[in-house]
Amino acid sequence: MKFVIESLTKNSGRLGRLHIKDGAPGQRTPLLMQTTKGGSIPYLSADVFESHVTETPQLLELTLSTIDHMSEALAQFNSADRGLSDYIGFPGHLNVLLLRDPCETTPAGGNDRDIQPLFTRRGKESLSPKRYMEMVASLRPDIYQGLCDADTNAESAKKRVQKSVDRTEKFMHYIYEHKSKVDSTLLAPIVGGYNTFARTQSIKHALEQPSGSYGGYVFEGFHTNGLSATILDASKLLPIVEHCVGQLEEEKPRMVPGAYTPLTTLELIGLGMDLFDTSYAYCAAVNFKALTFTFVQDEVVHVPFLDITDDAIKEDFSPLLKNCVCLSCQKHTRAYVHHLYKTNELLGPILLMVHNLHHYMAFFEAIRESIARDGLPQLTELVRRQNGDSQVDYSIAPNRKVISKATMGKGFAAAAV
Amino acid sequence: MSTRTIPPLTYKVVAECSVSKARAGLMTLRHSEVNTPVFMPVGTQGTLKGILPDQLIELNCQILLGNTYHLGLRPGIETLRLAGGLHKFMGWPRAILTDSGGFQMVSLLQLAEINEKGVNFRSPFDNSECMLTPEHSIQIQNAIGADIMMQLDDVVKTTTIGPRVEEAMERTIRWVDRCIEAHARDDDQSLFPIVQGGLDVPLRQRCVSALMERQVRGFAVGGLSGGESKHDFWRMVDVCTDHLPRDKPRYLMGVGFAADLVVCVALGIDMFDCVFPTRTARFGCALVDKGQLNLKQPKYKLDLEPIDKECECSTCKRYTRSYLHHIATNESVSCSLLSIHNVAYQLRLMRGMREAIERDEFPQFVSDFMGRHFGKDPIPTWIRQALKAVNIELPADEEKQDQQTKQEQEQAVEVSQTATSHTQHETYI
Repeated sequence: MKFVIESLTKNSGRLGRLHIKDGAPGQRTPLLMQTTKGGSIPYLSADVFESHVTETPQLLELTLSTIDHMSEALAQFNSADRGLSDYIGFPGHLNVLLLRDPCETTPAGGNDRDIQPLFTRRGKESLSPKRYMEMVASLRPDIYQGLCDADTNAESAKKRVQKSVDRTEKFMHYIYEHKSKVDSTLLAPIVGGYNTFARTQSIKHALEQPSGSYGGYVFEGFHTNGLSATILDASKLLPIVEHCVGQLEEEKPRMVPGAYTPLTTLELIGLGMDLFDTSYAYCAAVNFKALTFTFVQDEVVHVPFLDITDDAIKEDFSPLLKNCVCLSCQKHTRAYVHHLYKTNELLGPILLMVHNLHHYMAFFEAIRESIARDGLPQLTELVRRQNGDSQVDYSIAPNRKVISKATMGKGFAAAAV
Repeated sequence: MSTRTIPPLTYKVVAECSVSKARAGLMTLRHSEVNTPVFMPVGTQGTLKGILPDQLIELNCQILLGNTYHLGLRPGIETLRLAGGLHKFMGWPRAILTDSGGFQMVSLLQLAEINEKGVNFRSPFDNSECMLTPEHSIQIQNAIGADIMMQLDDVVKTTTIGPRVEEAMERTIRWVDRCIEAHARDDDQSLFPIVQGGLDVPLRQRCVSALMERQVRGFAVGGLSGGESKHDFWRMVDVCTDHLPRDKPRYLMGVGFAADLVVCVALGIDMFDCVFPTRTARFGCALVDKGQLNLKQPKYKLDLEPIDKECECSTCKRYTRSYLHHIATNESVSCSLLSIHNVAYQLRLMRGMREAIERDEFPQFVSDFMGRHFGKDPIPTWIRQALKAVNIELPADEEKQDQQTKQEQEQAVEVSQTATSHTQHETYI
């Protein structure tokens, strides 16, 4: 893997190009990785994704907690001319293997000195560094993250934070020693919660390794995935990140997985972070929110979401987002998506994922353009206020509405009386 | 000629099998041409489980079924009217057929009572008493705007015997007149009457004759596939197609298992619907000529073949059984992937039959299909008899067994098929 920084500005982001594999096109950073579940883009078949979202090869973010059970099959499937991306239906796309699913809250606890818990659909698995490296060898991802204890957030006690750093160091000791057994590029994990001292220690552990040992950094331990990333306090997060960034090697890409809000994402990019994922678009979709925030300069006040559960759109035959060119907005209406929500039909989240991914990918395109013309601060300001008077709330609350039968109206019965 | 002067449904027989009653036809509706024999996937609530309209078009699906009962509840008639009908509401440019809602009344609502006026039921929401009349069913279906709609019929359990069956048949005939009278959009939508009469040959004949006196553009055969023996099932289909007019399409309601489709096409049926392909997909099952693969089974864990090498659907082009095994019933995308394959399977089977009829090689097609479908298992007697009735003789089962054990086996097969056909109808709900 090779990473080339193409433009660098003080406090307003950096543009780069990530060459992951020979022959594959370079990926432009700041890069949006596609989050997956069980190897698939959530709700979308590869065919729908390529026909209706994008044809461009993507960097797929695979998570061991959702594909660990495939390692036996992949050990057989993988060969010189086909690999992990082919198996999951995305030939020609690149992949990175992370431990935890950024879309769902990772349960706390279960940490141990010698093993890292892996929370899968089938329950908790215990991952020793040895077992982890065996799985990486079977799965053969293009990139993989180092094994780490990232069970921290803004509330974590100092002791828990220290443990996460110490255990990560121990795990990584084994990984660095055995990494020559796999061909994939390693990302060094940086943990340490919201503690500057602990983060510095964690970075030091990575820097102690020869520079070629790993190809980039992955930052974890700021949140515990799922909606927790959408509600974290950016005023606590940003100073820590700023503290860390100064200590990193410039020419290595920095990944921050998780459903950070669009505003926090921009601020992280401003500090020099490079790789993000689509879990925010997913979290919005499963909680029946269509993304509607604007990143195109205009005079109108915008809102961050359209709430699909709102009965007010029952007979609103306009698209989810005016002027959006995605399939969902071109061919379907708010009223129809609302109906799909009410009837609990699978097509509802499918249409929302198509729209949200389309919107979020366009957002990243706008981010890269803005950095190129040194306009990231203006874009951040637009996203912060959406042309309104105060900062917009991008946090996502879980949808706990129960579809009551009373809200069905008397439809059939009424018509029949 | 303006569209107004063309009837909303024209049907012509394109080719006929020279041996059996099978025929290939072209039905032209306001929203689509439909090549028959056709299988219509069921999109109960204005969507086919997890499939985009664009994907259905790619599969060359020409007509979908919607359920009046469910659509009347949600989104409701007012919303559908405001949207300009179901086609616009769901973004489906091709043809739609709706049922009358009567079947769900009787099967979903325990408290339904039927009298001459209509179906009396208690609202599942506030328990108030409501009445669904033939007129109401048609009003709702007019608002939905499907290309083909069904009359409200008097539905009795398939296994009912005695005077109730005759009463239901007679009432169904009286109700079709009320439906025709209430039908306000005859320029856009075609109303099909439903042949009833239980498992009684003379009743079925009387019903067909009476319905043929009405001005209608096609016919449905109802009251079957609800737990009756396969023996009775095929005989009733056979009687109906013997008497229905050649120049109008014939729709057999709620039938969709592959072997049943092949037999009933041989008996002269043109249209079918069933939720089975999409329902079984949700349980991780994929349709193949041999029956279905339950991909959850451990034997598929390391199976690196596609579901079906011959299949050209987007699922078979990209995914192995092994991958599908790992995500089936866990990741919701598996439901879309298997539904696509299963709908593609049904449509491919129908296309195969159409092409065989056009080449006048249908008997060979049937024979080949049954060979693949049953493999080494004996072909059930009812299938042999039904096909023999339309002059298609299947080759004898290869492995001749002791007469007695064979009979036992066939009984077992029939029992299991009756049991599954019961599910077939249940799932139609």
